[in-house]
Amino acid sequence: MSQPLNPMRGFIEIEVRDREGRVIQRGRHEMKSFTNNFLKILEGFFNSYGNYPSEYVAKPASKATVVAPDGTSKDAWTEAYYDYHRCGGVAMATRAGAGVDSYGIVVGSGTTPFNLNNYALATKIAHGTGAGQLNYDVMSLDDLGLDTSVSPPVYRVRLMRGFKNLTSSTITITEVSVIARAYWKYTGGVVNDVLFLIARDVLPTSYTVPAGGSASVAVVIEVAMG
Amino acid sequence: MIRAEVVVELDGREVYRGESKSFVQNFSKILFAILNGTGGVGLAYEGPVSSAVVQKPDGATTTVYGEYYTKYTPSAITSGGTAMGFKAGAGEDAWGILVGSGSDPVSPTQYNLSAKIPHGTDPGKLYYDVHTVTSSYSDTSSYVEIARSFINKSSQPVTVREVGLFARNRYQRADAIEVDVIFMVARDVLPNPVTVNPLGSLLIRYRVILTT
Repeated sequence: MSQPLNPMRGFIEIEVRDREGRVIQRGRHEMKSFTNNFLKILEGFFNSYGNYPSEYVAKPASKATVVAPDGTSKDAWTEAYYDYHRCGGVAMATRAGAGVDSYGIVVGSGTTPFNLNNYALATKIAHGTGAGQLNYDVMSLDDLGLDTSVSPPVYRVRLMRGFKNLTSSTITITEVSVIARAYWKYTGGVVNDVLFLIARDVLPTSYTVPAGGSASVAVVIEVAMG
Repeated sequence: MIRAEVVVELDGREVYRGESKSFVQNFSKILFAILNGTGGVGLAYEGPVSSAVVQKPDGATTTVYGEYYTKYTPSAITSGGTAMGFKAGAGEDAWGILVGSGSDPVSPTQYNLSAKIPHGTDPGKLYYDVHTVTSSYSDTSSYVEIARSFINKSSQPVTVREVGLFARNRYQRADAIEVDVIFMVARDVLPNPVTVNPLGSLLIRYRVILTT
């Protein structure tokens, strides 16, 4: 087994099935494309205090300025306190529900080369049953745990989503992204709700989902340890 | 591509720069808990949405939260928190960047330094300063860095052999602390010990680098 060169890397695993459920295409590709937005959230956590900074009541205590999929800069919070109860949130959620194509694993048909400042897919394939659309299933995440059979050991986390082609034409996937959501609220309202792309890969091979078929897309994040 | 570096400066001079490969399993667990959040919960929701079980510095296991909302109380009080705070203040030696004198080999299941050097001015202690965070972003190469200075205010040399990065998962409402867990996410053993002489200073920098 090869030794990971980086403390953290990811793989995209794709499996395409026809309308009878037979696997017709399968691949695994190393990701090369975490974005600056991902690093900015990490910066937000580095700047988070982890205790009560009284001067920040009713404000985010720490935030990251990310670029949303529409190209605008927005603040994604990583630590917040409000002078009301039921305050809390999440800085980088990906577990989107069925039919939600704004975050989680989102696929596209574009081929624009990647750079760290990417903030959106080149051409998103939207959720739906119309021409050129795929039916987005619910996101699932799995803690795959520590694998000590490789050297150095790695700890894996898997994000996965299914896509069904309910149209009468084939649909080709050429790019895969992970879009995260920062969401903070208190009893009185939502105070931060921002989407931002944290990874985008243009696939070395395109994947064609036939009419009535489906695709399963997994993103496996692997952290090398020791 | 993501990689990480540990940089050590002694009295203003860089004495070590090496690749950090020493994240521990607590890091992956809190990353999972954060990614496993959903967002979008209703205004009346309280409690956890996503969680993970980590190991605290004393070895006990406990639950931390990637997405969490404090509970209801019938008054306007300060509530909130974070899944992973690092920016401990001066004199705080429980979280953020910590240093130690132990040299046990790194392992994925470690949850503490081998032998922490505590904050203080007595022999065998170092004065823990505040953290600073810097970053740089471009199309092809970016980094974010957290750094902390340590000063030897004692009359005896202090030798550092290990460096750890500790996070704090904390949610509160006024003075009611609902969650407060400190846990180690990375530990590196330096290839050579670094001795900080009286009145000398040590700077530890953890840098995460992203390249195309």
